[in-house]
Amino acid sequence: MRTVYLQGDSLLHRLNPLSKFLVNLALFIFVLFTNDPWAPLAFIALTVLVLVLLGRVPLLRLVKLMTPLVLIATVFLLMYPLAVRQSLVDHTPLLWQWGPLRVYAGSLDHALATALRILALLALSLPFSLTTDSADFIRALVQQGRLPYRVGYSTLAAFGFIPMLQNEVSVIGAAHRVRGVNGTAGWRGAYERLRRYAVPLLTGAIRQAERTALAMDGRAFGALPQRTYFQRMRFTAVDWLFVFGMLAVSALLVFALYHFGLLGELSLLKIL
Amino acid sequence: MIDVSALTVKYTGRKRPVLRELSLQVPKGQTLLILGPSGSGKSSLALTLNGLIPHSIGEVLGGAVRVAGADTQHTPVAQLAQRVGILFQDPDAQFATLTVEDEIVFGLENLCLDPAQMDARVEAALAQVGMAHARRRPVFALSGGEKQRIALAALLAMQPEVLVFDEPTAHLDSVGTQQVFALLAQLKARGEHTLILIEHKLDELMHLVDRVVVLDMDGAVFADGPPRTLFDQHAVELQEMGVWMPQVCLLAQQLRTAGLPLKAFPVTIGEAVKALGPALAAAPPAPAPVPSPVNPGGAAVYSVRDLSFSYGDMPALHNVSLDIQQGDFLAIVGPNGAGKSTLARHLIGLLTPPPGTVLLNEQDVHDLDARRLAQQVAYVFQNPEHQFVTERVDDEVAFGLRAAGMGEEQVAAQTARLLETFGLARYAPANPFTLSHGEKRRLSVAAMLAIGQETLILDEPTFGQDERNAAALMALLRALNAEGKTVVMITHDMRLVAEAADKVAVILGGRLEFFGPPAELFAQGDLLARAHLNLPPLARLAALLATQHPQMAGWATLQDYQPLSEAVRV
Repeated sequence: MRTVYLQGDSLLHRLNPLSKFLVNLALFIFVLFTNDPWAPLAFIALTVLVLVLLGRVPLLRLVKLMTPLVLIATVFLLMYPLAVRQSLVDHTPLLWQWGPLRVYAGSLDHALATALRILALLALSLPFSLTTDSADFIRALVQQGRLPYRVGYSTLAAFGFIPMLQNEVSVIGAAHRVRGVNGTAGWRGAYERLRRYAVPLLTGAIRQAERTALAMDGRAFGALPQRTYFQRMRFTAVDWLFVFGMLAVSALLVFALYHFGLLGELSLLKIL
Repeated sequence: MIDVSALTVKYTGRKRPVLRELSLQVPKGQTLLILGPSGSGKSSLALTLNGLIPHSIGEVLGGAVRVAGADTQHTPVAQLAQRVGILFQDPDAQFATLTVEDEIVFGLENLCLDPAQMDARVEAALAQVGMAHARRRPVFALSGGEKQRIALAALLAMQPEVLVFDEPTAHLDSVGTQQVFALLAQLKARGEHTLILIEHKLDELMHLVDRVVVLDMDGAVFADGPPRTLFDQHAVELQEMGVWMPQVCLLAQQLRTAGLPLKAFPVTIGEAVKALGPALAAAPPAPAPVPSPVNPGGAAVYSVRDLSFSYGDMPALHNVSLDIQQGDFLAIVGPNGAGKSTLARHLIGLLTPPPGTVLLNEQDVHDLDARRLAQQVAYVFQNPEHQFVTERVDDEVAFGLRAAGMGEEQVAAQTARLLETFGLARYAPANPFTLSHGEKRRLSVAAMLAIGQETLILDEPTFGQDERNAAALMALLRALNAEGKTVVMITHDMRLVAEAADKVAVILGGRLEFFGPPAELFAQGDLLARAHLNLPPLARLAALLATQHPQMAGWATLQDYQPLSEAVRV
C-alpha cells in the first residue's frame, strides 16, 4: 500500500500519533473559520517550520510533496473569481470584462483567501500524515483513545486488503478488455462499468474477508476481553509539551495577526 | 492427540452436512495426509480441530472432537489456539497486521502473553522458518512463499502441538512450494508436532507421510491406512473418485495391470527405483521410446523479436525472441515475477509492444486494437470470475458472438452448441457466479473461444482445480490442439508440461533462457535448478533408472513408460 508516510526517527515521528492528531484537528478547525489570506498564510509557514525543524523532512522532499497541493490551490485561485456571487463584490472596482464574465477586485480577494485557506487545510495534515505509521495510529487509538481493540485491529486488517483490491481492479479491467468489452462513454458507460466491476470485486473481497477472519480467529483474536501489547504506545510529557506548545504558539500567532489588523472576520459560512 | 468421533458438521444454509459421522484418531507425533475430491470436507475437518467450527462458522450436529482431551465445542478458542495452528492456502488472506513483527506477536497479544516474553518467541519463530532478516519488513512486500513462511512463524510462536497445513502451496510458484516443503521436512525431523497435511503435490511429500486418510463426497472416511497399503489397495477407486495420487503409484498400478510383478508397492521415487530395478533387469524395455509427435512446424502465428519492457525503472523483459507456430502447444514456465505474464500481455495487446517486436500472422500487434486482436486470439485469465461480464451463462458465451456482429439466430445456435460441448447446457439460465469452480473455468474457456479464434492463451488454467477437473480441462485443450488450434499456457505444473506441451519456454529474470521440446529442458539440470523448476516425478524416476537403462533417458509421463508394460507382455 502506498501512503505518504516517510520513515524517520525525528521528534515528530516519536510523538504519540494522538498528540499530532489533536493539534492537527484544533488548527484545522480554526483555519476553517478564517476569511482573510493572512491567517492561512501564517499557519502554512508554521506547518513548514514544524515539518523541517521537528519532523526533519528534507526540504527537497517537502517541495515535491507541496507541489500538487499548491496546484490544487492555484486551480481554485483561477476558477473562484468566475464563480463568486456578483452581488457580494459588484461594489468593488471592475478589473476585467469579457462578454457576461466580469472579474471584480473583491472577487480576487475572495479567491486568494479561499485558495490559501484550502492550501493551509491540506498542509496542516502533513505533520501527522508524513510522520505517522498507520499501524501506530491504530495502536494509539486502541491503547490511549479507548477504541475497542476488535474494531481497531479489524481496520488494520482491512488496510491489508487495499493492495489486493487495487490489483483486482486492474486485472478485471484487463480481463474485460480482452473480451472486447468496449466502454460506452458518458454516465451510462460509467454506470455499466461500475456494475460489471462490482460483482467480481465484491465476490473477491468478501471471500478474502472471510478467509482473513478465520485466520485471525484461529489465532485467538477476540477470544479474551483484554489483550497485551508488545509495542506499548505512551502519551508522555513530551506529548503534552508538544500539544500545549503548539497551541500556545498558535494563540500567539493569532493574537499578533489581530494586533496588526490582519486577522479579518471569523465565520464558518462565508457566503452570507 | 486428536480424537474425532462420529462427527457430523453442517454449514448454515446448506442442506447436506459437509462431514457425516466421521471418526478419526490421530496419535501424538504422527504425520497424517488427508485426501479427497474437492467438496469432500477436507478443509472443514481442519477447521473443527482448532474449534473454528463451531465457534466461528458452521454447526456440529453430532459427535465430538477432542484435542489432547479437551472437547473443542466446550473449550474456549484461546486455549485451542495454543494447541492447534492452521496454515491456510491463500497467502494474501491470513494477515491481520502490516509488518512481519506485528504479525508474529498478534497471536501472542491475543493470548495476553507478557510482552517481556514476546521478543524471544518472535526471534525463535523467525529463525525456525529462516526469515530472521525480515523482522522489520512490511508484509505486502514479501513473495508468496515468504508470506507462507511468516504465517507459519506466527503459528509456531504460539507453540501449538498440532499443525495443520491446508493446501499451503496451492497459490505458490515452484520457488515458494520448495520453501514450504523444506520447512515441512524440518518440522517432521524435529518431531515436536503432530502434522496434518492437505496437499495434492504428493510425490514431493510422500516420504514424510506416516498415514493417509481419504474422505469421500459424503464427508465420511473412505479409506484409512499407511500410504503403501492404501494406494496399493485402492488405486483404481481413488482415480475414479478424482483424488490426486502420487505419480509413482499411478505408474506402479499401470505396470501391475500389465502383469509386472512388484515385490513392494512403491510410494516414493526412491522406492520405485528399488521396486523397478529387478523387474527391468528381467524384462528390459524396447531400446527406443516412442517419440512424442512433434508439431511439423506450420506458419508462425506469433513472431516475437527482441522484445524488452520495464515497469517504470523495473526491467521485466529483456530481448525476448521466439516463434510460435500454428498448432504448437507451448508452455511458458518460470518463477513468479520472472516475466511470464508480461510476455503474454504483450501477445494480446494488454501491453502495447513497440513497433515490429510482436507480429501476429504477420500483422504488427503494435497497430492492432484490442478488439481486432480478441477476434484472432482468446486469452483466458487465471481467475475465471474476472472475465464474466453478463448475468447468465448463455449470455456469457453469446457476448463475444454478438460483439463479432453475428446475427441473433446464428448466435443462439452457436451458443447452444458450445454449451453442449463444454457440458454447461443445463446451466444456461444460471448466473455464472453460482457455478462450481470447475464449471466456471469451463465457461470462461467456452466464452473466450466462442468466435472460433485459432489461438488460445491461458494463464495457469488448472489453478485451484481438483484432479478430475484439471484432467478434463487438459483433455479439452489437447483436443482443441489436435484440431489444429495453437495453445499457449502459462503454468507452474511441470507434470502438465511433460504431458501436454510440445514446446516449452523458460523465462527467468526477464530473459528467455530456454525454448524447445520439454525432453530437452528436462535434460538440463543446471537450468532447472536456476529456475527453481522441479523435474516431474516420473522424469526424476527415469533419470535415476537411466544410469542402468539408458533407453529410459527423457521419459517423463505414464505414456513414456508404456514400453515397460510391453516388455512384460513379451
